[in-house]
Amino acid sequence: MRERVSVEARRTFWRILAADRYIRWFLVLPLLVVLSCFMFYPLFYSLYMSFHEYVLRAPPLFIGPENYRMVLHDREFWQAIGRTFYVLAVCIAVELSLGMGIALLLNREFKGQNTIRGLCLLPLLISPLAMSLMWNYMLHVQFGIVNQVLVWLGLGAVEWISNPKIALYSIMLISIWQWTPFSIFVLLAGLRGLPKDALEAARVDGASRWFTFRKLILSMLTPLIIIIILLRTMWLIRLFDPLYGTTRGGVGTESLDWFMYRISFVFFDVGKGSAMALFSLYVTIVLCAILYRQLIKALGAAK
Amino acid sequence: MKRVMFWVAIVIILLVFLLPIAWVYVTSLKSPADIFRPEKLAFAPTFYNYKYIATVRPSLMEFRNALIVSVLSTALVMAVSLPAAYSFARFNTGGGHLLFITISTRMFPGVVAAVPFFFLYRNLGLLDTHLGLILLYLYFNMSFATFLLYGFFREIPEELERSAMVDGYGRLAIFRKIIFPLIKPGAAITTVFCLIFAWNEFFFAFLFTRRLARTVAVGLAVFWGSIEIQWGPMAALMALAILPTLAAAWFMQRFIIRGLTFGAVKG
Repeated sequence: MRERVSVEARRTFWRILAADRYIRWFLVLPLLVVLSCFMFYPLFYSLYMSFHEYVLRAPPLFIGPENYRMVLHDREFWQAIGRTFYVLAVCIAVELSLGMGIALLLNREFKGQNTIRGLCLLPLLISPLAMSLMWNYMLHVQFGIVNQVLVWLGLGAVEWISNPKIALYSIMLISIWQWTPFSIFVLLAGLRGLPKDALEAARVDGASRWFTFRKLILSMLTPLIIIIILLRTMWLIRLFDPLYGTTRGGVGTESLDWFMYRISFVFFDVGKGSAMALFSLYVTIVLCAILYRQLIKALGAAK
Repeated sequence: MKRVMFWVAIVIILLVFLLPIAWVYVTSLKSPADIFRPEKLAFAPTFYNYKYIATVRPSLMEFRNALIVSVLSTALVMAVSLPAAYSFARFNTGGGHLLFITISTRMFPGVVAAVPFFFLYRNLGLLDTHLGLILLYLYFNMSFATFLLYGFFREIPEELERSAMVDGYGRLAIFRKIIFPLIKPGAAITTVFCLIFAWNEFFFAFLFTRRLARTVAVGLAVFWGSIEIQWGPMAALMALAILPTLAAAWFMQRFIIRGLTFGAVKG
């Protein structure tokens, strides 16, 4: 008898769970648990530490918003932010235009199309640290192959990594080389998913190629372009590996992430580091929320 | 003429993308003297660098560590992200806000998570352990995986499920017979992405592992000593570290034909 009740109870339990109202929360439960551990713990810890002076030797000492004041008056911090946003703008603009060009080029039938498309994606999959170390070797001022070729062409050697005016652009070059395939990948997929009849109709109506591209293709690909911008913003804001493989934060290339890493893990100024991290997190979230809203809007328009 | 231009463009693009990767393999076969003469292409290939990373500074452990960490963390990510993404896509759980919060973990500056977890791990004894790194990668990859899978799930028309339900299928049967076969390619792509990200990840591995749980990416950085950079052995280790990702690329190529649309644009 008791057994039957328990079977019955278990069945009811599963039936309730299987009802749409509950199963949706049941399914996201593991995610919520991990999120709350890995997101809220660091957030609250940083919030707590950002109001304390803590440089490891003494226990945390409450100092109020002093850390924030220091951060906001730190010229190096603002320079790092400005530099990061500059890299962001240049890299995303170049990657998107190159990616669109190459995706349009690859979006046709040709011999070995699948192999060639696959090969174009390779840089994306290879360890960013490994490739930036390799680029460092190739861009070396004396024995780098790039300079060897430039000298051979009679153009003279360039101080790719050691010149403060150029080093940041070298890092952008590495980033662009590695991530343009991402734009190609997404945009090519988008191009292949475009409705053929609309493009055909435009062609029959005698629309110019440029007009078709601007009015039809570009507007239909807007959601994907925003996705690329959104994801690349998130990834580029944490620019670290290409710096580690080349200048190690020197020669006027210190990014926001590297600066915070230096404060927190080299100087072990946890309080100031936390204030900085939270501030930059705030900036990032605002930026990404704007992009996300645009994405939702564009998705609604595409439907 | 147009065809010629097209192929010239293709060749240039491929050269730019592939030469740096090929250069890793070329460099790894050079003798210590030839390393500093990159223009010399007719060099006598030698396995000196490979012997170096096999004997002088053994790197096998680093491969084992990277493998353990990326496989286990990816398994965890999929276990968490698959049901969650399904819930987001089908029931719009949390009205889009929860999905945004999930995605937003990816825009945390690495340091925001690194500092608190460094001290937490130190107290728990998780520094320089596989488990510690696996948990970090779970957090690190979860948001991207959920986002990708969300797109794939949205591509599955809801009517399919509805009509199955009308036919008297239970939830579990629907999941097994209809959704799982349709999501398999998308899940495969996501798995490979997570594996690659975990394999390549450097920032957390660099901060949270020292010796025992050190991954290949950290091993590479070690060749940059305080006195000199050992380009040769470094290139050899790179050449080997890249191999699994090249294999993954070959695997993914089949799916690219199908076209990864992120579920965003539908014709």
